[in-house]
Amino acid sequence: MSIAILQISALIKVSLLELYRRKDLIVVLILGAILLLPIAFVTPFGISGSGTYFNEIALIMVWIFSIFIALGVSSRIFPNEFEKRTIYPLLAKPAGRGVILTGRYLGALTAAISALCIFYAAYILLCGIKQGVWFSEVLLQAFILHAGLIAVMVAIGMTGSLLMTPSANITLSLLVAFGMLFFGNRLPELAQGQGAIAKIALYSANALAPHIEFFDMRQRLVHDWPAVSWLVCVVVMLYAAVYSWVCLLIADLLLRRKRF
Amino acid sequence: MTVIRLENVTKTFGAVRAVEKLSFEVKKGEITGFLGANGAGKTTTIKMLLGFIRPDAGKVLINGKDPVLPLTRKSIGFMPEMAYYYPYLKVYELLDLYGGLCGMTKKTIGARAKMLVAKVGLSGTENRQLKTFSKGMLQRIGIAQAFLHDPDVYILDEPFTGLDPLARIQFRDLLQEEKRSGKTILFSSHELSEAELICDNVIILKEGKVAWRGTTAQVAGDGSQNLERVFLNIIGNDSWEGVAI
Repeated sequence: MSIAILQISALIKVSLLELYRRKDLIVVLILGAILLLPIAFVTPFGISGSGTYFNEIALIMVWIFSIFIALGVSSRIFPNEFEKRTIYPLLAKPAGRGVILTGRYLGALTAAISALCIFYAAYILLCGIKQGVWFSEVLLQAFILHAGLIAVMVAIGMTGSLLMTPSANITLSLLVAFGMLFFGNRLPELAQGQGAIAKIALYSANALAPHIEFFDMRQRLVHDWPAVSWLVCVVVMLYAAVYSWVCLLIADLLLRRKRF
Repeated sequence: MTVIRLENVTKTFGAVRAVEKLSFEVKKGEITGFLGANGAGKTTTIKMLLGFIRPDAGKVLINGKDPVLPLTRKSIGFMPEMAYYYPYLKVYELLDLYGGLCGMTKKTIGARAKMLVAKVGLSGTENRQLKTFSKGMLQRIGIAQAFLHDPDVYILDEPFTGLDPLARIQFRDLLQEEKRSGKTILFSSHELSEAELICDNVIILKEGKVAWRGTTAQVAGDGSQNLERVFLNIIGNDSWEGVAI
């Protein structure tokens, strides 16, 4: 096994151990149950079909919390390492800063995806109980694309953590994420009616900001619409991989220039 | 054979000149004490020796290679001044992490870790998370992680801080044992008596420059001197200007 793989797997293992020991997953489990229980047990006012709205609300909550967890985990790793000085023994070992960054990124990603798995497991369980549907192609696609989004958010959070404080980083990243989720696909349309500077700003945002809406399968899940082509999923996952890679490249440059 | 070499190294932080044209060498199998008052430039020098920061001018070499390169650091065992480690990990999990970063196999880590945990007096604490450890116990973990990959060079930043008398004796013995097996040791310290006991050479820094260097035999002189007197004479002398020896 190559040394880099040994080094990266050692860092991932530590992230998982910390996640388990800090009992973060239990909190996620409770959160998942609270968010998703209404789907299974509530039919408001006895109106048939109103479950769809609960389903939609529960899914948006899953989205919000999964993004929040991804950013919360990733944006604190390096600031904590710097503040608690645990970075020094790490840097003194024969591991490059790129390896440390990759290990820390994959550790945070594994932790955030573990939380996502819990949310989806609870969602599948409750949908199964209520509707008798335990598996669908759309659900699988929704999970895979959601995991791709988490990969992007963790990369953004980690890069931002090398530039600003965790609270500023989380706030800014959440603004970008939810701004793009709700308005991302309207940016070119919005840009057309604007002046030159606003047009440049909106087109730049369209080109540079992560297109969260690409990963969004909520409507298909809620309304039982058919699955998208798997080719589309592959392209979106490639977009996630490239976007994350570019973010990590920037983070690597920042970490190399960091003064300790 | 020279293991650690600094040639005219200068490092500034803004308007502050932390280290200025610093040059010294440490030869294989020597224990060198790196002393100086607070802010003398010891930690900055150690950070350059580990490749954490680059000098503005001059050369820093470990075994003839640049410590910024990860492979060079394979031969370095470093113990940081403040022993902060991941609080949710247990002793062997922490050593697993550092061993993994050194590219050691699980089997090798296991064997070395077991031996070192016993040597630093932490047997019986294996099932406790580090958050329950005292400062002295964390310092012992720091020693174990620095020695884990059996490096050729040890760079230790204030290693005696927080250690109780028994642990100091054990650590001193450990350093002497490593010296006998040909390892090179450079440690910074404010503990002058410890430095006098175990060092072959002493370097005293003042305002980023070498103010005094020599062997511990030179420190003793005709028998009326000790390191404390030499240190106070150099550090307390405001009229000092430049390298004394």
